[in-house]
This record gives sequence, structure tokens and C-alpha cells, in this order.
Amino acid sequence: MEEWRYLSFNQCDAFENMAIDEAIFRENQRRKMSPTLRFYGWTNPSISLGYFQDVKNEVNLEFCRDKNIHIVRRLTGGKAVLHEKDLTYSVVAQEKNPLFPPGLLGTYKVINGCIALGLAKLGINADLAQESRSAESLYLQAFCFSTPSQYELLVNGRKICGSAQMRSKGVFLQHGSLLMDFDPQHIYSAMGKSTGDITKEISNLEKQVTSIYKHIDPKINYTELCQLLASGFEEYLGIRLVKGRLTREEGILKEHLLKYKYMSSNWNMEGKAVEWRSKES
Amino acid sequence: MVGFPDDLLYSREHTWVRVDGNMATIGITDYAQEELGEIYSVEIPHIDTFIEQDEPFGTVESSKTIAELISPVSGDVVSVNEDLFDDVGILNSDFYNTGWLIVVAITDPSELDNLLDSMGYADYIEEGEGDR
Repeated sequence: MEEWRYLSFNQCDAFENMAIDEAIFRENQRRKMSPTLRFYGWTNPSISLGYFQDVKNEVNLEFCRDKNIHIVRRLTGGKAVLHEKDLTYSVVAQEKNPLFPPGLLGTYKVINGCIALGLAKLGINADLAQESRSAESLYLQAFCFSTPSQYELLVNGRKICGSAQMRSKGVFLQHGSLLMDFDPQHIYSAMGKSTGDITKEISNLEKQVTSIYKHIDPKINYTELCQLLASGFEEYLGIRLVKGRLTREEGILKEHLLKYKYMSSNWNMEGKAVEWRSKES
Repeated sequence: MVGFPDDLLYSREHTWVRVDGNMATIGITDYAQEELGEIYSVEIPHIDTFIEQDEPFGTVESSKTIAELISPVSGDVVSVNEDLFDDVGILNSDFYNTGWLIVVAITDPSELDNLLDSMGYADYIEEGEGDR
């Protein structure tokens, strides 16, 4: 039975969370390690931006400053996520691991299948989206949960978990955000500057998004949820999760990435980790 | 798929190389663009940047994922395809011609020995990229 390293739930700030995930990803590229599953939370409300997103167009910076919402750029693609009432996961694995079918969408299908099995243990029936859908609202196009992509998780047609990837040198990093609770007003305020009909925009968002707390009572805590999701991974994949911690090399790399990349406004605001990089827009 | 033209060399990280003297034009292969799906954005290095074989030199975002571009050769970037900034769609529609990425002045021609010819690359793809 294949063993995966399991980094059980902990909370860090936005910058350390992203530095940890990249350190795991880069070290796996170097050393071809077994897969890692990590669950985590955020000590401060935070927005994570997709790799290519333009912060000035996607985020209401003034609102975020006033509410002390941290902003960090992810290594993965996709759209912005407000991490406030969510559980975040990361999976790092070799692309050629036979547990994942060939093709870029195969990993979404498998990992979301694991999450769906975990949610089923809570009595929540989540389905994989069969096709991508466009956002109804132009204003909220930058928000991850406004547009389900193929194989993302829906409950009664509403998105509950968003995910995004980075791939390089035979390794993938997949991020996912599973909504525990959902405050459309807060999301609306944090994402961009409103010019439209706020009531209608929020109503549209509510029709497209759901969360765990909308489906279960009594409310489950993070630790209990992680245990159920972890067992979903073990059963779906036929693997054994072994509790672990970062290696010494990952720890050193994490500190380096934290200091020189994820604490840097050059990366978070401009998307420039190193000087030679130039963006399309 | 269009396939893999005979006059190009190919890396196992799915870039192609057109060699002319010590200049190497680099792009992504038909297989790469097909796997990625619709490409939305690209990030490539500035002129005069030194890039290394088997190391990342840029990034693409598609409808499915973000992927780092891994360099097939080492050398200094002497030209970048600025047309990509007007229409990144040429990476999907004309990937062997107008959709090239960069031109590099090769510093170590022996590195070309690590690349595959069209038949070798086709076999590599056919075998599921090696050892899946």
C-alpha cells in the first residue's frame, strides 16, 4: 500500500502558507519524494491571487487595508480566493504516479473524488462538475468560486471547493479551498470596486456558491473535518497517510522563500519573484 | 495534432528547438499545447537573460493549469516574441512558426545531444512520456 506524507491541520499566515507549499513542491522536483497531503488554515483573513492575476484589477486594496486582509500571490493559477471561512489543502506529487490518470485534468478528478468521499461521510453529496461554466457577473469573474471548472466539486449545482495547479519538471502542486462558511457581502466588498447592482450581484453569487455549514448541523470543527477528508483520500486512493513534518531541506527553503518571495510586495503585488520575469499584461 | 516536424529537435519537457548556427529558436510542441488546452497567459524572460538547460525560463497559464517552461538549452536570450503579448493564442494556433517563444545564443552546443529528433520524441510521447 502506497504511503503519503500527511501534514495535519495547522494555521499560518498567508505568506508562510504559500512558502511551505512551494518548498514542498521544489524539494519534490529535486528528490522525487512520495506525495504530500497538507491541510491548513489562515491566521489572518487573506486573499490569495492566482499566479497571473493583476491585483489592482481583482482586489479592493483599500477595503483589504482597512480590514487587515493579507494579500499573497499563489504559485498556482486560477482566480482569487478569500480565505476567511475555508479549509485549504495542498497536494504535491509526481505526475507519473500511477494513482493519477494521464492528462492534466486527471489530477483534479482524482483529488476532488477524494474530497467528495470525505464530504459524503458528513452526509454532503458533492458531484464533479462535468463541464466549465462562465461567471454570470463580470464584476466577480476574478473570484474563484464564481466559475466552476470541469471536475470541480458542486453540491446541488453550487460550487463548494475550488482548485488550481502548478506543474513543472514532472511534479504538480494542487491547491484547493473548501468553503466552511460563506459571506457573499464580504467577498463582494473585497473583490474589486463595485459599479453594478450590489443586491443582484450578491444574489447571483449566492446562487452559484455553497458551503459546508449550509448543509450540516451541528457545525463541525476543522480537526474533525480534516480527519474525514483524510480518510476520504485513504479510501478513494487505497493509500495510507503517515503523519509527518517538513524535512530539514524543506524548512530551510521555506524560510528562504518566505523572506525573499512571499513577504515581498514585488511578488505579491507585481508578480515578479525574480527580475528577469516579464508579464504578458 | 499537427505532429512533430523533422527539422526540429525536441526536449522531454515538450519544447522544440530550431537550430541555425549557434542560435536556437525555442517554442512549445503540438503535444504541449494540446495537453494544456487554451492558453491564456505567458511569461518569458527579457533579452540578455542567461537561461540554463533543464531549468525554468518562463510560465504559461492555460484553462487547465499553470506550467513552467523548461529550457532545452543553455544560453543568452537574444530575442523574445513580442507578438505573444498581443495575441497569446498563437501558442495554440501556430506553435511551430509565429508562436515561437525566444531565441537563445547557445553556449554549449553539446547540450543538443540531450534532445530528441522528431521520431524519438514521437516514440517518447507514444510510450506515455517514458515510464508512467
